[in-house]
This record gives sequence, structure tokens and C-alpha cells, in this order.
Amino acid sequence: MAIKFINDDTIAAIITPQGEGGIGAIRIAGPESNKIISRIFLRARSDIKNNIPFHLYYGHLFNREGEVIDEVTMVEMPEGESYTGQTQAEIFCHGGQFILRQILNEIFHFGARPAEPGEFTRRAFLAGSIDLARAEAVADLVSSKTEYSYHAAKNNLLGKLTDKIDLIRNRALDILAEIEADIDYPEEDIEPANENKIEQAMDEIIAELAELASSYRSGKIIKEGYKIAIAGRPNAGKSSLFNLLLNQNRAIVAPVPGTTRDYLTEWIDLDGVAVSIIDTAGLRKPSGIIEKAGQKSAVEIIAAADLVIWIVDLTRKSWRKDLLKDINDIRNRNILLLFNKIDKINIKNITDKDILSISFKYVLFSCITKFGLKELKKELNQYIINRMPDLTDGLVITSERHKRKLDLAIKRLKRGMITIKKKESPELISFEIRQGINEIDEITGRIYNEEILDRIFSKFCIGK
Amino acid sequence: MVVGGGHAGVEAALAASRMGKTIGLVTMDKTKLALMSCNPAIGGLGKSHIVKEIDALGGVMGKAIDATGIQFRRLNLSRGPAVWSTRAQADRIGYNRCICEVIAEDKNISVIEGTAGQFLVENGRVIGIATESGEKIFSKAIIVCSGTFLGGLIHIGEKQIPAGRQGEKAAYELTKSFRSLGFEIGRLKTGTPPRLDGKTIDYAKCEIQQGEYPIPFFSYTTKSYNVDQISCHLTYTTAKTKEIILRNLDRAPMFSGQIKSKGPRYCPSIEDKIFRFGDKPRHQIFLEPEGNGTDEVYPNGFSTSLPEDVQLDAIRSIIGLKNAEITKPGYAIEYDYCPAYQIKPSLETKLIENLYLAGQINGTSGYEEAAGQGIMAGVNAVLKIEGEPLFVLDRSESYIGVMIDDLITHSTTEPYRMFTSRAEYRLALREDNARDRLFGYAQKYELISEEDYKEFVDMQNRTIEKIRMLRKKVIPISKLDGLSKYFIRKDAVSLADLLKVPGVTCNDIIPFMTDEQRDDSNDEIAERAAILIKYEGYIDKQEREIEKFKKLENESIPKNFEFASLLGLRNEAREKFDRIKPISLGQAGRIEGITTGDLAALAIHLKKYKSQKNIKDKQ
Ligand SMILES: Nc1nc2c(ncn2[C@@H]2O[C@H](COP(=O)(O)OP(=O)(O)OP(=O)(O)O)[C@@H](O)[C@H]2O)c(=O)[nH]1
Ligand SMILES: [Mg+2]
Repeated sequence: MAIKFINDDTIAAIITPQGEGGIGAIRIAGPESNKIISRIFLRARSDIKNNIPFHLYYGHLFNREGEVIDEVTMVEMPEGESYTGQTQAEIFCHGGQFILRQILNEIFHFGARPAEPGEFTRRAFLAGSIDLARAEAVADLVSSKTEYSYHAAKNNLLGKLTDKIDLIRNRALDILAEIEADIDYPEEDIEPANENKIEQAMDEIIAELAELASSYRSGKIIKEGYKIAIAGRPNAGKSSLFNLLLNQNRAIVAPVPGTTRDYLTEWIDLDGVAVSIIDTAGLRKPSGIIEKAGQKSAVEIIAAADLVIWIVDLTRKSWRKDLLKDINDIRNRNILLLFNKIDKINIKNITDKDILSISFKYVLFSCITKFGLKELKKELNQYIINRMPDLTDGLVITSERHKRKLDLAIKRLKRGMITIKKKESPELISFEIRQGINEIDEITGRIYNEEILDRIFSKFCIGK
Repeated sequence: MVVGGGHAGVEAALAASRMGKTIGLVTMDKTKLALMSCNPAIGGLGKSHIVKEIDALGGVMGKAIDATGIQFRRLNLSRGPAVWSTRAQADRIGYNRCICEVIAEDKNISVIEGTAGQFLVENGRVIGIATESGEKIFSKAIIVCSGTFLGGLIHIGEKQIPAGRQGEKAAYELTKSFRSLGFEIGRLKTGTPPRLDGKTIDYAKCEIQQGEYPIPFFSYTTKSYNVDQISCHLTYTTAKTKEIILRNLDRAPMFSGQIKSKGPRYCPSIEDKIFRFGDKPRHQIFLEPEGNGTDEVYPNGFSTSLPEDVQLDAIRSIIGLKNAEITKPGYAIEYDYCPAYQIKPSLETKLIENLYLAGQINGTSGYEEAAGQGIMAGVNAVLKIEGEPLFVLDRSESYIGVMIDDLITHSTTEPYRMFTSRAEYRLALREDNARDRLFGYAQKYELISEEDYKEFVDMQNRTIEKIRMLRKKVIPISKLDGLSKYFIRKDAVSLADLLKVPGVTCNDIIPFMTDEQRDDSNDEIAERAAILIKYEGYIDKQEREIEKFKKLENESIPKNFEFASLLGLRNEAREKFDRIKPISLGQAGRIEGITTGDLAALAIHLKKYKSQKNIKDKQ
């Protein structure tokens, strides 16, 4: 069971409740706190040399690439005087989950790990900052929460997730039981563990874990909202659309290709669903280093987006040829085609044949006349509603910790596969698979050795 | 004082004697010390590891089986060094005589014939026993190793015979004494097959199974000698066996409801096997001779409590046993045990000071498991008398530690047998490194001689040298023949690299060594070095896991910690903690059904308790 009782590492977590609040707060506690703050936070006032404890500073939070994530206020507290008793810092930012996550990611990047539930309080208690009565209240909370959420969550996401994980775990235990039976009962007349069967079962388990891990994407949508990227060739009208959807002139629009060199993100409200839209740099042969960097990030954004609006400039003669080429690069993404600048061309020039040859949804559009805006919004809504993870029976993981554990489990089991393929001895195969199961167990928080034996006894006729 | 002269009792007495104490060994019949009441064999998976650990702690089991074994083999050679396992057929009588001699020669041990009837207790401490015949014997510490004798009840078909073993009286008073002191007593069941007259077996119809040369001995002290190894045989039940047993199932005490206690799932009776695995056409039966001077044969795999007439019919339906005669019928035996949440890691009972329990009374089965507990109880009883810190082995350093932790944490409800799969740090707990793991303790408690220790340290050093040599010595790929395919894009590889190839053993690399390198290669050292090289990466990984494990293990929970009044715990968790009284957070986490949340809450209380205590201590 993985609980750390040694407080020598630095932990961080969002301490404001989930959901759109006015302000979000993040707490960092542990020896690395100051160092992490110095890497991500820059005071607005440069005339002060050092941060004074318990002073609230206004400034900017940067990501590791040096880009501003948000305007924030920040306060530091020295060892012995904070809630946790350790060096501690708190950051207050604009409340959206998306921003909070981004900041948290940077904090993890610079050396903190996610705090376990109740861990700040545990440290506070150890430091003597809170008395027994309060500590007990928290202990109550921690345990009742587990039990409560266990029962209460039976029919919802968490309960199903546990069931699903148990199911996968059981299959892994079955495999282990086969291998262990082979080890512990060499003289028994039992069918030797069939390698092909084991490999196949392992493949399936790994695939299921991977599917679960990839559901983190949907999980993130639930938590952070839907991501739509606006992409296309230079000068197609991406920034124009971005501004239109935003209802403000946020991005620079210019008749020269390559105007947008970096990306811009904003939140919009689409029929009550918060959606983040991203304006990207146009994709084509880059002419400079900055543009090249912009394009690289555009490619990444396209890859990470839940939906890509691909804009086609109908005034370009080569649009058909270009589109066929471009489509190949982005075919495996969710795509909505936007045929832009319809005001400039004769609509009859676009034949049915043009459209039929492309198997994507499309909207005819003009940023100038706003032709097609209603249809676009309808399309987007439709899309989002269809793609929103189904909260009634879809399985998603929303916790970063779970995602991490799943990834580790997959890694270990894959190593198990390698040991099988390399024909290593069963004890080593078992070792790897056990490690994989241990990772899975850290999600649900339990381990009990006897289970393997239970399986062996129920499955095989054992006993001379 | 040690009560009971089985495998646990004997090791307990000998360990205490090595530590300089005088011991009274109370037993019903002094000629029956360390009798093998079930199968005439020592070792096997998980068990052999315990024997090697007992040996590394100066115990007698390994030495005795080496001296009296009639067939030795190593199991699992293809499954990896951590699960290699030695097994020997014993000369049943020879083994028993050998132990009797050792005990007789031990000046510190006096054997007292009698049956313990009652504990004499004063202020929560045991001070002696009264025998069933009324005699009082006093002692500073008492180790109870009563085996299956407490409330023993034998079942053969519809017949029920009160007995401790076939033909031996059981003990009933002692259970009452335990109960009156407040102990919870449970009941377990185990069984044994009928014994056959070897002269009536047609071995030609069976598969032969021979011993191994060079002989794999158990004890590090044994100087290799030649044993005339005898053969075992393998045969199978038939469709007729199945038919006979199914027809008579209602006469089997396990099925008729006559026996209610739980038997071991890993050692089911033949009726159980046939009933539960009905689609299996046949079941294998090993025919194991009981010794050199006897024709008696133990049909391993045919444990049964069916009526005698059915036993004979069923036996005769087995291939090669058409004319077999039964010399003693098989039986099931029910006996009292003491669920082990009632003892501490030192095996002392929580209720009564200076009273220790070891062996089957704690719910285990098997000679090796019993002996392992015996030695620990013996050492701890002495340490306690001398006011020294206790001797507790943890899960990462020994199978004995795994076993005792399992017992006190889970309180087994079926007879507990060791398996290698019980050891989560299996790769680190091998036969070959038992001494690396335990010799330090053995030296500290003076369980072994100083010379033995020095000799071993010398061997450790030579192993390190050997590893160095294997890493340095380089072979051109061109000389490797078949093995070269494992080393693409390399011109030459070290012998160590070669050893890491799956399937390559230390014998395979001998041809690549110079005569000189070969000459100094003592077999054991070569094997130790090869294992360490082969599993380097894994052993490191396991070590890191062990470090994590030790952190939690070292978060100790004070003796008088009040679990029952802890707030913020689920009821289930609070009850379990209170019943088992874990001694560390690590153990608390291993209790079945405990969640991470429970553990976190416990940790908070614990820290608070400790810091309050610190403040008090300062004032
Ligand atoms: N006539 C017409 N012009 C448009 C329309 N949409 C955009 N434009 C013009 O096309 C030019 C480029 O628009 P942007 O929005 O800057 O295009 P972009 O795709 O962001 O360009 P880069 O950032 O340089 O890749 C501008 O002069 C816009 O005014 C449209 O629907 N009709
Ligand atoms: Mg632009």
C-alpha cells in the first residue's frame, strides 16, 4: 500500500472546490516549494529583491516554455509558520480548471508530486498546527469518505471504475495463478501454463488498461472542457473565425499569410458547455524559426484537440488539390471542414462532386457576412453533445494519479510480455506481472496475497 | 520447558539448549520424538526454503534428513533459482532415531514422559504445568508444541476414535486449560493415506522416479557422502477408482457432515479430488517407501477417511495395486488449534506471559513449518528470560518471517502450508542465500559455531571474487556457436553477459574458462555467483521494493495502543485492528479488508500518540 509517511517530499494540489469558481487556489508544501515558485512565478514589481513571507505578491505564472499561463497572486510561508509546518506557498489564479491544471502541471514538472487526499492535513497534524479534535475530524473525513464514496459511488463513475479495474485485475490474477501453480506444484498432474494463452490474455489485459488510460482524455473533458482547434493553411481566415466565435477582436487579422505565429486560447460558451477554442498558426512551409515553432505547436495542438475545424480558403485556386493533401495528414482526427470566404466566389463553382469526394462534415461559411455561423454553431453543438463522454455508462478516469498508475501498470505488464517472449524463467515473469498488479492495486488501495492461492485451489486439482 | 516432542518441540528445545538453557521436554513417549506422522519426506516447494533457514539458524532438521534420507531431488530446476527446491524421502524410523540420539546426547535437555494437563499461572504469567497425572513441573518459560494431540479425533468412515495420532492417546485437559485462561480455540482437520505393503505392489506397472546425483543435501554442515538412493514410483487412479469412491461418498465423514472443521485445500482427500474435479479422468499417486528397513509404502495423493473396506477396494483399483494389502488404514483427524491472532511475532501468547505456541497449534501443517516456528519460539523464550530484545524475522528476509506474519495477521482457518507464492519478495528468498540472510542472527545468538561463521564469510568473499572474474573474462563472439545470436553487434562478451542469457547455467560457461579458473570453482560458489549475476537487475529491483516495505514496517505501533477507541475509523477496520493488534503500520496494511483510508487514519492517530508521548517523556 502506497502511503508515504515520510514528509521529505514536496506535494501540491488544488485546494479550492471543483467547478467554476471566481478564484482557484493551489497549495505547495515541502522543501522544494520556494524553488518551484522561483521557476514559475515572476513578480510584477521588479524593485523588490526577495519575497517576504506572508506578503501577497501580484505577478505572472509562466510555463516551462516561458509563456504566460495566467495573472496570479502568490504568498509564501516559511517552515514552522505554515499550516503544514513546512515551507509552503499558495497561488491564487483565475478559477478555471483548465488554468489550474496547467499551473499544477508546471509545479509537478519542477519536482512536486500530487498530494494524496488529506495529506496537507496529515502534515499539519504532524507539525502540531492542528489539535487532536481537528485531526480526528479529518481522520473521520478521510475514512468516511472512502467508505461513503465507495457505497455512494456504486452506481456512478467511480463505482464502475472500481468494478472495471477489479475485472481487469482479476484476469491478471488468473494469469498469475497459472504461472504460480506451475511454480509451486511442479510434481502435480496439472496442465502446464499455456504460453500462447497467457500471451493472448496479457495482450488483452494490456489493451483494456490502455483503453482505460486513454479514457483520461474524456475524463479531462469532463473536468476541463472541450478543446477545439482552428487550423488550416495560412491566410485561410482562422483568426477571423476565432474572433467571430469570441465576439471580440482578440487575434490579429491581416491579409498576409503567416500573421498568427503562435497559438491563442480562449473559452467560449456553446449552449452552456464551456469550450476552449484555439487559434493556430497556418500550416505550410515555414519561412522563419518563429513560424516554424508556431507550426510545430499547431501540429501538437491539432493532435491534442477534441475537434479540429479545418478552414479552406475557397478563393485559392489550388484549394481542391491542397485539401486532398492536407486531409491525409489529419485524417485520423475529428474534423469539421469550413469552406470560407464564400462571399467572394460563385457558390455554383463548388460542385456536388467536390463535396462528395470528401467524407467529412462541412459548412459553407463567410467570416465577413457571417453566412453559415448559425449552422456552424449548430454543428459544433451537435458534435460536442455526441462526443461528450457518456456519464451514464461510459468509463472514464478523471484522476491524474489513476492515469499515472495505469500507465505504470501497462509498462510493467509489457515487461512481463518481454520476459515471456524471451523465455525467461516463470519466477521472473511472475515478478513482472505482480508488479503490474501492484500498480493496479494502488488505484483501488488494496493487496492481499492469499487471492492467488485461492485461485489456484479453485482451478486446479492439487494435492498429492 | 517444551511441551510436545514433535518437529517444533525438538527444534525449540535444541535452540534453547544452544543458547545455554536447561530444558525439560515433556512428551508422551520419549521414543517417538520427531516422528513423521504423515508423508515420509522433507522439503518441497517453499518448505525446503524453511529447512535451509532452520539450518542457517543452527537447527537440526536439515542435518537429520541428510543423515537419514533415502532419496534426494531438486525440483523446479527450469523455473528459476528462487524457486529451486530440494526434496528428500526420509527413512521414517531412521529420522526419528537420529533425533532421539541428538536429544539424548544434549546435556541441557531432559526428556520427561507425561501429558501436560494444566497451566500453572500466576499474575498473568505461566510458571509451570501440572501433568494429567497430577505432577507439577515449574519453568520460566513454556513452549507448547502439541501438534494434532489437542482434542484429537480420528475418523475412518463412520468410526470415530479419540487419538492424537493413529494408536496414540490424545490430550484433552490442556484444551480446557487454554479455554479457562480465555483463549479462543478452533478446530482443524487433516488427513493421511493408508499405508501399503510394498511386497504386494506390482512396480512394473508404474513409472519409476529416481534420486539425483550429485546428491542435493539440505544442510551446509553435511559433507557429501554416498547414499544408496531408492526409487519412488508414480501410478494413477482409474475410472474404477472414481466409480468406487463416488458410490461410497455418503460414507465419507467429510461428506456425511461428520467432520465440520476445515481441511487443507492443497492436500485434499482423494474423495474430495474426485468429487470436485469430476472431469479429470485420473489422479496421480506417488508410491513412496517409508524407509530402508521396512516394506511399508506411503501412497502420496491418496489421503482418505473413507471406511476401511472402501479404502481397500479403491486402492486395488489403482494401476499396479491390484493385489495390494493395506497395513494401516488412512484417516482424517480433527484437532484443536489456537487461532494465531492470539500470539505475538515472538510466538509468545498475548494473554499469558512466558507462554509460547509453536507448530500445528498455531494452525500450520507440515514438519518444516512446525520446526521453523519451534526454533523461533526457543530463541525468543530464552531472549525474554534474559531481558534481551526479541528475535523477529520480517517478510523480506525469510520464509519463516513470511509464515509467522501470515499467521498472526490472518489467523488461518485452514491448515497453513508454505508456498513460494506467499513470499512477495521471493526473488530475494532463495535456498542458496539462506545463510546470507540469517547467519548474522545465528552468530549473534550463538546458534552456530564461530568457525562456521568464519568459513561462510570466506565463502561470501570468494563468491564476490568469482563474480569479478566472470565479469572480466571476455570471449570472442566467434567462439560462442549457438549462443552468438543473443549478441548482435558485439565482438566479444564477458562470461557474466553469457550467464544472463535465459537458460544458460554455470555449467554452460565452464568450457570458456581456463583450467585455473575452473580449478578454484567450488560448485556452490560457482552457482551462487551465477545466480547473482543472472538476476542482478531483478534483485536490485526487489531490494528497492524491500526498502519501501521496511519503511512501513518500521512505523511501529506501541504495545498498549488503544485501537478500540480510535475515532475516524470504519467499524470493520477498528474491530480488525483491535483483534489482531498489528505491531506496525506495515502489518496493519496487510490485514484483509483494510483500505488506504483506514491506514491513513491510523497513521494520523499514531503520530499524534507518539508526539504526545514525547512531550510527556520530556516533562
Ligand atoms: N472575403 C473574405 N475575406 C476573409 C474571410 N475570412 C477572412 N478573410 C480575410 O482573409 C485574410 C486572412 O485572414 P486571417 O483571419 O488573418 O487568416 P489566418 O488563417 O488567421 O492567417 P494566418 O494567421 O496568417 O495563417 C484577412 O484579410 C481577412 O480579412 C471571408 O470569409 N471572406
Ligand atoms: Mg491568423
